[in-house]
Amino acid sequence: MKPVSASMSSRQHQFEALVRGHSTDLYRYAYWLCGQDALAKDLVQDTFLRAWRALDKLREVGAVKAWLITILRREHARLFERKAMSSDDIDDFDLPDPQATPERRTEESVLRQAIANLDPKYREPLVLQVLGGFTCAEIAEQLGLGEAAVMTQLFRARQKLKGQLGSESQNAEVSEL
Amino acid sequence: MNCLEFRRRLGSEPASTLAAFVAHREECARCASAQIAADEFEKCIRGSLSIPVPANLADRIILAQTTEFRQQRRNSKRGMGAIVVAVAASILIAVVALSNRQTEMPALAGMVVEHLQKHVVSATDARNPIPKQDVMAAFADRGVRLNSVPDGVNYVHECPAGPYKSVHMVMPERGGPVNVVYVVDKPSQRSIDFSHDGMRGREVPIGKGSLVMLASSDGDFDAIEHSWKQAMVQGSTSYLENARAYRVGVDHALSPLVRNTFPAAP
Repeated sequence: MKPVSASMSSRQHQFEALVRGHSTDLYRYAYWLCGQDALAKDLVQDTFLRAWRALDKLREVGAVKAWLITILRREHARLFERKAMSSDDIDDFDLPDPQATPERRTEESVLRQAIANLDPKYREPLVLQVLGGFTCAEIAEQLGLGEAAVMTQLFRARQKLKGQLGSESQNAEVSEL
Repeated sequence: MNCLEFRRRLGSEPASTLAAFVAHREECARCASAQIAADEFEKCIRGSLSIPVPANLADRIILAQTTEFRQQRRNSKRGMGAIVVAVAASILIAVVALSNRQTEMPALAGMVVEHLQKHVVSATDARNPIPKQDVMAAFADRGVRLNSVPDGVNYVHECPAGPYKSVHMVMPERGGPVNVVYVVDKPSQRSIDFSHDGMRGREVPIGKGSLVMLASSDGDFDAIEHSWKQAMVQGSTSYLENARAYRVGVDHALSPLVRNTFPAAP
């Protein structure tokens, strides 16, 4: 069997650049979509395999991230169709162990839990915006919503997070007393 | 953009680069400080969302892709293999169909066979070559003028084949005696080989009639067919040479198969 690099085509080069450039963001997006590490890895892998098969259809390099996100969302939808599950069924996020993170990130851990607790309709646009770097218009296009609706969801998502963080800090203050 | 609009935009899109948004922030100190607080919060959100990524994620994806790619190539080769097998199978089926076609005895040959079953030539009657004039005469009686007579005709008789007139001959060949029957004025559509009761046969159009051969083996049919085609060709001068080239063992003794194949008439 020849090593992969020996017969590497430009298509293969393009694909590998795509994977190395976007797998991290895609994994995190998948994780916040499904809430499980193993499922997120499968989703990302399936997304890239599908992208590989359809790589010739990719025309705009600038739109590659949106293209990948679209593929991933479809893969996610297929997965939930197959398993007859609803994304609302995700109650328990497989969150990283807060003890394993540095102390200064305690607030991040609390916030992470708060994000996990968000309704998916608020969480998804937030993830797309913060991790994906998409504008409200682009998110609206991805989710098939109006731009105003997306803005409202993003506004409410932040309000809810702030609210949860406020109550958490109040709880912390109470427990300290 | 006023402060309310700015705060709404800030709450939904803190990193907005809208000109009106940026301009308002430049001119409103309170909104600018709200932006700083919002940016700090955004940093926290980003940090929280940035969960640890599994080690070697990209490598694993690339490995899966290259594996799938190789598998596809292997499958496509197998697909080609399957096509080759399918083509081979089609050829085999065609050959079988063709051979089946060969085993179907044509109607005219059927009449000849029916006659041969009644008119059995004994080995004694077909032991030695008969004069060529006798063969020529038998054909002449049937209204057929031969250009020449092939060597090695050991028996000749004017016989019927169904409603048709024919000349029945026996030609001893290397593979055993061959019954050769020329059916006058009944040319078959095409040359056809057939099998009947363990015997091999061939019906071939020659001149205005058909030549039907029947023997235990078809190994000599080509040579006999060729010699009789030459015999029927008007004006052929090279007939004897050609016939000699194809004829083998003209003088050899009759095989005992003659008796076995064509049992003596009661």
